[in-house]
Amino acid sequence: MYAVGFALASYVMLAALAWRMWRWYHIAQPLPIPLTPAPRSRIGVVLRLAREVLFFRTLLRASPVTWLGCMLMHYGFLLVLLLHLRFLLPELPLWLVPLIAWGNIANLALLAGLVLLLCRRVFVARIRYVSIPSDFGWLGLLLIIVISGMALKRTGAADPYAVGRFLRSALQLDMLPLVGSAVMWLHLLGVLALLALFPFGKLLHAPGILFAPTLNTRAR
Amino acid sequence: MTRSYPIIPLVSESSTSEALGYPGELVDDWQQIAIVRLGELVNGNRALAVFMDTCTRCGACADKCHFGIGTKDPRNMPVARQELLRSVWRRYHTFFGRHLPWLVGARDLDRAMLDDWYSYFHQCSECRRCAVFCPKGIDTTEVTMAGREILATVGLGQRYSQTIVEKAGRLGNNLGMKPAAIANVLENLEEDLADELDEHEWGGPVRLPLDDSSADVLLVVPSADFFAEPHVDGLLGLAKVLHAAGVRWTLSSEASEAANFGLFAGNTKHERELASRLVSAALALGTRRLVIGECGHAWRVAGARLAALMAQMPEHKGITLHDVLDAGRAEHVCELSHELLVSGRIALDATRNSGKVVSYHDSCNIARGAAMGQTVDGAFELPRALLRASVESFVEMPRGTTHRETYCCGGGGGMLADDLVNVRINGASPRAHALAEVVKSHQVTHLAAICAICKTQLSTVLPLAEVGFDLVKIDVVSLHALVGDALVPPHPGES
Repeated sequence: MYAVGFALASYVMLAALAWRMWRWYHIAQPLPIPLTPAPRSRIGVVLRLAREVLFFRTLLRASPVTWLGCMLMHYGFLLVLLLHLRFLLPELPLWLVPLIAWGNIANLALLAGLVLLLCRRVFVARIRYVSIPSDFGWLGLLLIIVISGMALKRTGAADPYAVGRFLRSALQLDMLPLVGSAVMWLHLLGVLALLALFPFGKLLHAPGILFAPTLNTRAR
Repeated sequence: MTRSYPIIPLVSESSTSEALGYPGELVDDWQQIAIVRLGELVNGNRALAVFMDTCTRCGACADKCHFGIGTKDPRNMPVARQELLRSVWRRYHTFFGRHLPWLVGARDLDRAMLDDWYSYFHQCSECRRCAVFCPKGIDTTEVTMAGREILATVGLGQRYSQTIVEKAGRLGNNLGMKPAAIANVLENLEEDLADELDEHEWGGPVRLPLDDSSADVLLVVPSADFFAEPHVDGLLGLAKVLHAAGVRWTLSSEASEAANFGLFAGNTKHERELASRLVSAALALGTRRLVIGECGHAWRVAGARLAALMAQMPEHKGITLHDVLDAGRAEHVCELSHELLVSGRIALDATRNSGKVVSYHDSCNIARGAAMGQTVDGAFELPRALLRASVESFVEMPRGTTHRETYCCGGGGGMLADDLVNVRINGASPRAHALAEVVKSHQVTHLAAICAICKTQLSTVLPLAEVGFDLVKIDVVSLHALVGDALVPPHPGES
């Protein structure tokens, strides 16, 4: 049951994400709207986007606290995702080895970032005013995944390599049996929901920023 | 965060709306029509499509809008303004909005929402300051434009903007001046200059040519420059500059308006039709340079959009801007004056402006809408270079209120209407406070600007601003009025 769900979620996510990006790409931009001062060269545009995607430079200028929360959250998430490859891939990639020591720090950064962002939504009046239920939903979902994952790591309630083998087989719709704890199923269920919902909500800002004509257009 | 009051701009006359191709009053099935139009706009404009999807409501923009700061109305936070449209988009055009509206903050397009649209999409001057702070590059301007276009489509056009678009389309300029009236005004201005200037020093009368086909440069200014104060002094200053440099230039009765309110109303067709006159006039007069005067959004249209607009003009099919203009683009008047200054064709003597302590207001559309000169920061550097050469004392307002982060004057984007004066006063308050700081610290006496709307708005509302003391003595001036005052005559002392 979970195996089918996981395979479905993964493929839905990839297909829907591709569809969203295809749609953006194929909608015409009637008139150029670069936000100036803007770079004059293509390489300048690439650098502008890279600064946004890698360092959230605009956010730093706009709100340093939010920037801190977002940096912790996104880079913590990136590192945690990379570290999960050791469970998901059949063999341990060598480049991953030096990162393993950072596992706990990555978990804590991700958790701290999420808590900080949640606190802003709860305690800062103007952010609370513009928040909608799904904004809390995304943070809640990520918190469930992170906290259950950290619990799994601490208690050793599941064999992550066995889960990895199970998921690999699931992607080929080949059912391997999996025994695990409730916490493990919560963790996996959270991931499933995240995958399936990713292309249908605000997490689209990840690919979307590259399509913003304000940033990706050269000035005359 | 609590103060809230309804702002309802005057609705267009039926005849005006109908002349522009919109219904003359609110149509019966407005809800259905609005939802369909929203879908058309989003699916026909990549920026809008992306912006509907990518906002995370992170709040980076929430404290950046001059109207939000000035009115303290939470719906004037850029993200909240966008959500007015986005929540309706989700409700009718997305799966989760249709089936789980409460979860994704999707809202019905009911009469209250329509009224909110009308109110809050006319409390945005489309200045793009929020976009400067958006980590996803979302520009509220595009949302406001779409909102206004939908409102006009169901019969709720804003009177001020629609009246101007209609008049400019019919008569060629926002003020509705006919060619004979323009010729008459220019003649009077020439007489004023003749009285003021020594003919020997200036080597003959300083002229304001109209429709002169022997000219090299076509200058298009906002029609306010023909007689409004303090705008007209900028036009006179510029006439002196061009005379002193020996530039052969002309104004045009066909393109007698730089401003283009089609941009503000979010109607590309009207924007294109008004912009088309610039190309037609340049072609008719055979001028190979097109120079845009002191007008902010005119520069955004001509400087950043004209080539793309021209590609969609049926009347100029088959030719590009490169076929019409040597530079292949329109130029800003500051680019021209700066070129004349650097090449030594004019000389400026700052002591002629002695006693004036001048600060400079970056106009939003010039700062964030189009590039100027050859460098990335030309739109900030060129006007300042001219100003520094023209006055002895130049003072910057505080960081974060100038350059790309400049506060809008609060009157742009079709908001310079009398019925919106309360919002305009609130919208100008961040600028007024920034100015008040340098008035206190440096005894600033003049505020220079290069936009007709900024000049009208600031000279009207600065005296009403509550900054703890009176700003009424501050003179809002055209940059080229100061340049003209500092200009050394071609033959000084020959009288």
